[in-house]
Amino acid sequence: MNEFSITEPLFGIFQVLLLVVLSPLIVGIMRKTKAKSQKRVGAPIIQPYFDILKLVKKEEVVSDQSSWIFRCNPWVNFVATVSAAFFIPVSIVYSPFGVMGDILLVIGLFGLGKFFTILAGLDVSSSFGGLGSSREIMFSTLVEPALLITIFVIAIFYGGTNISTIVASANDISFLASPGVIFALIAFFIILMVETGKLPFDNPSTHLELTMIHEATVLEYSGKSLALIEWSQSIKQIILLTLFVNIFIPWGISNNFSLTEISFGIVLIIVKIISLGILIALIETRIAKWRLFRVPDLIAISIASSMIGVIFFFI
Amino acid sequence: MIFPTEINLLDISAVILLVATFGLIVSRGFSNWVNAYRYQTIVLAGIVALIASVSNIWELYIVSALTLGIKAVIIPKILFYVTKKLDSPIKLEIDPYVSMKLSVIISALLVAMSYFIFLYLDIKSNEIIQVFLPVSFALFFIGLFVIVSRRKALNQMVGLLTIENGLFLFAVSLTHGFSLIIEIGLMADILLGVIISSILLFRMSRTFDSIDIKNLESLRDD
Repeated sequence: MNEFSITEPLFGIFQVLLLVVLSPLIVGIMRKTKAKSQKRVGAPIIQPYFDILKLVKKEEVVSDQSSWIFRCNPWVNFVATVSAAFFIPVSIVYSPFGVMGDILLVIGLFGLGKFFTILAGLDVSSSFGGLGSSREIMFSTLVEPALLITIFVIAIFYGGTNISTIVASANDISFLASPGVIFALIAFFIILMVETGKLPFDNPSTHLELTMIHEATVLEYSGKSLALIEWSQSIKQIILLTLFVNIFIPWGISNNFSLTEISFGIVLIIVKIISLGILIALIETRIAKWRLFRVPDLIAISIASSMIGVIFFFI
Repeated sequence: MIFPTEINLLDISAVILLVATFGLIVSRGFSNWVNAYRYQTIVLAGIVALIASVSNIWELYIVSALTLGIKAVIIPKILFYVTKKLDSPIKLEIDPYVSMKLSVIISALLVAMSYFIFLYLDIKSNEIIQVFLPVSFALFFIGLFVIVSRRKALNQMVGLLTIENGLFLFAVSLTHGFSLIIEIGLMADILLGVIISSILLFRMSRTFDSIDIKNLESLRDD
């Protein structure tokens, strides 16, 4: 353990700011990719920033049937996702705040945000909110075992649930620790698509009541609250993408605290996240929204895949 | 002499084969089954070529090319031809005996079971056997499971072909290839089996207007 210096916490805060600031850009890039592959022109890639700015300027309308839960939900969501961002190693193999929390805490913070979103959907007495809440709770109960088994696989392969440990040992191993990690990768990719509301599960860009899941729970929001909710959703997405990149393709991430390696690491992680986002957007254009009751099939694949990952560890 | 990177390559190819096999379980449409079978066979041919390069047996390259030619090109062509000619109204597995999610989890357990069976076997002499023998068991069990859990006759054919792939992998990894004559004979055998079962499929479709095997269970002469 090296001696305490002020630069490391400062760099950690800089990393969090990087994630928070860049997150709408990734959303914009994914929308642009989808538009391009569907032969549309599409909005410019910085459109999400304009959206947030516009929403901040607008007046907020709150239903008089709602309670304090409805008003505090955007803040809880935003604070939960931003504090989850503190534990993610971005461009260096360890997070300066990583001693305080591991991957289970990150999932817990996401769960807190989701819990309040579901409560807020039920809180306003609109029928859509309840519908969206019930669908969201169904998905999250189904995803929970898949997510935990996947994390179990990653933890037993890389020696601990602390994200810094996982990323450091993933970076040490030359190519792949074991074929079990490939199965964990497949499972984690499916979970990533569920959690960020991607196409076979959810289509946040439409306002049809048949396809709405996350969208229905936040339908009543307007103004600043909506801006906060959209922003925290995009931060959650970039956190999951960063986790995916750093656990499964960590090559080039900087090992020590030198300026050249860190700047190289930052450039590399941005390139990797953007390419992963483009890949996901291209996958999204190739498939249609699935029927709600077929979604458990895909989550079952995720569970089965991570189960095989566990088996590969013990043989 | 096998280097660590080569063992890694063997492991990864085994994983890709397992993933391709899972594609068979999760697909519902006719062309999806045949495509899943085709991908699986292409991976299998690649694995045979890999075994050939690791163990330096040139005959296995020919076997790999034969696999690619017969199993990945000709048999899918026959199956697609059958699918096009069938006048069955529904070309989806509507309600299999076991639901999709349950069958995925059951097949994961079957993979686990094949690895546990392998733990109790006493033939772990070399790396190729260690990597591919449990996978071949898994292919065998999954093919068997597809046969007993699906209702459509075409799907059962694909399950049979998967079992055959498992046996083929078993034989290749255990013996590093039979003599070439036997291999060619086996391929011809499979080809003939597929042709005969597609003829049976035509007759079944013409008699019952569907290829649901439930129709075969009633022994009524009318």
